[in-house]
Amino acid sequence: MKRLFIYLIMLLPLVLLSTQILYFENVADPIKYIYTVTGVSATVILFLSILISLFKKPINFMKYRRLIGLFGFFYAFLHLINFVVFDAELDFIFIIEETLDKPFIYLGMLAFFILLFMTITSTKRLFKKYKSYHQFVYVALILITIHFIMAQKSINIMQLMYIVMIFIIAYCKLLQKIIEKNKKLR
Amino acid sequence: MNIIKKRSWDISSSEVTPEELFNKRRNFLKLGAASLVSSGALIEALAKDNIPVANLKYLKDKNINNLKLNTYEQITTYNNFYEFTTSKTAVQDLAHTLNTDNWEIEIDGLVEKPMKIQLNDLTKNFTIEERIYRFRCVEGWSMVVPWNGFSLADLVKFAKPLSSAKYIRFETKYDEEMFPDQSRGVFATIDYPYVEGLRMDEAMNELSFLATGLYGSTLPKQNGAPLRLVIPWKYGFKSIKSISKISFVDEEPINTWQKTNKREYGFFANVNPNVDHPRWSQKRERVLGKFLKQKTLMYNGYEKEVAHMYKGMDLRKFI
Repeated sequence: MKRLFIYLIMLLPLVLLSTQILYFENVADPIKYIYTVTGVSATVILFLSILISLFKKPINFMKYRRLIGLFGFFYAFLHLINFVVFDAELDFIFIIEETLDKPFIYLGMLAFFILLFMTITSTKRLFKKYKSYHQFVYVALILITIHFIMAQKSINIMQLMYIVMIFIIAYCKLLQKIIEKNKKLR
Repeated sequence: MNIIKKRSWDISSSEVTPEELFNKRRNFLKLGAASLVSSGALIEALAKDNIPVANLKYLKDKNINNLKLNTYEQITTYNNFYEFTTSKTAVQDLAHTLNTDNWEIEIDGLVEKPMKIQLNDLTKNFTIEERIYRFRCVEGWSMVVPWNGFSLADLVKFAKPLSSAKYIRFETKYDEEMFPDQSRGVFATIDYPYVEGLRMDEAMNELSFLATGLYGSTLPKQNGAPLRLVIPWKYGFKSIKSISKISFVDEEPINTWQKTNKREYGFFANVNPNVDHPRWSQKRERVLGKFLKQKTLMYNGYEKEVAHMYKGMDLRKFI
């Protein structure tokens, strides 16, 4: 039941995106729209995935953390595909040039490769071995946040609220880590 | 020797009825009316698009470059107008708070006679024409718009600037009642009022234009009613909307986007595929309504008309 619920929620952005573009055809700049929807979805879902370990009550989602994380990667992958296929039209020389030249692009790329690594090592067998490396999700989230801020021409109120929320989450996570450390020391 | 230069908006002496009229019986009435005021490109658009009834009289643009117009809907539903919101699709729903009644334009600075004048009284002095121009946004999207309005050079002549005036500075109206983002103080997206500027030779260029309408009817609010600048060889943010003040000055004005982020936006903002924005490439652009991109042209395709003004300037430095 919980699993079905997660699937439904996680696939909502994709449904929204597809219906808007393919069915209503009322998107003036579809590529930009795909960037926005997939980017926002990936960011929100990845932040959700690290929130799971913050709140084990009232509902414990720990069992589904991997699934949610994978959905985060899924939207990040669509985001990248949008860049490679639709935006750059498979011009790989251009893609490499842009990636090396523009901080905005290489921060996003770095974050994507961290997520890719985590996805590959998320199977039961590999996760045992690479578990500690999954801490890199925090590096990816920092990169994604910078990438998101850079994507704006200027920051409006809504975006400011997102950023504040991200800082609150970061603070809570840090607090949690410190408390856990102290417990171990005792 | 007298060389006659044919401009893209010159009217030929032998205006014939467009042949579309003979072929499209179904739209005959609508088209018949349109043909009195508009070009062939417009007629096609009118036939399939819900465009308000044309209420402006103007000289037609021959559209000799055969630019394919964007639809009225595309042009009026995808707008950057930060005074309302940063969402390009939401502007159309919020723009109703802009009140264009009894709009006053202030002309001041280094002019013979500074004045405040009702917009209607001002536009009476000029020939209203149509200009079909490419429009390229710094964000990498573009469109083709049939503007109506008058030449900026005509306004400059009307204002009679002193010889010491080297630049023109434009200002969008400041009114917190009309523009929600202006009332947000420190949380505002950019500094208000919005400011733009042109060097005098740029302002006097034959392409520089002040728009009061598009597609033959009054400029919609989301497109910068009642008066906006249109500088087709520069990125869209130069084409300042809802102008309330025009000042003639002797120093280069600091325009809003330059003030916001001078590493990324400059005073000139000429469309240039060879100079990237720090965060994205400017080599190509997406025409609204098309999925794939096309190559961006030097000076947005107006090299012939404007390149001479920037001879010898380092275009990487003067962005």
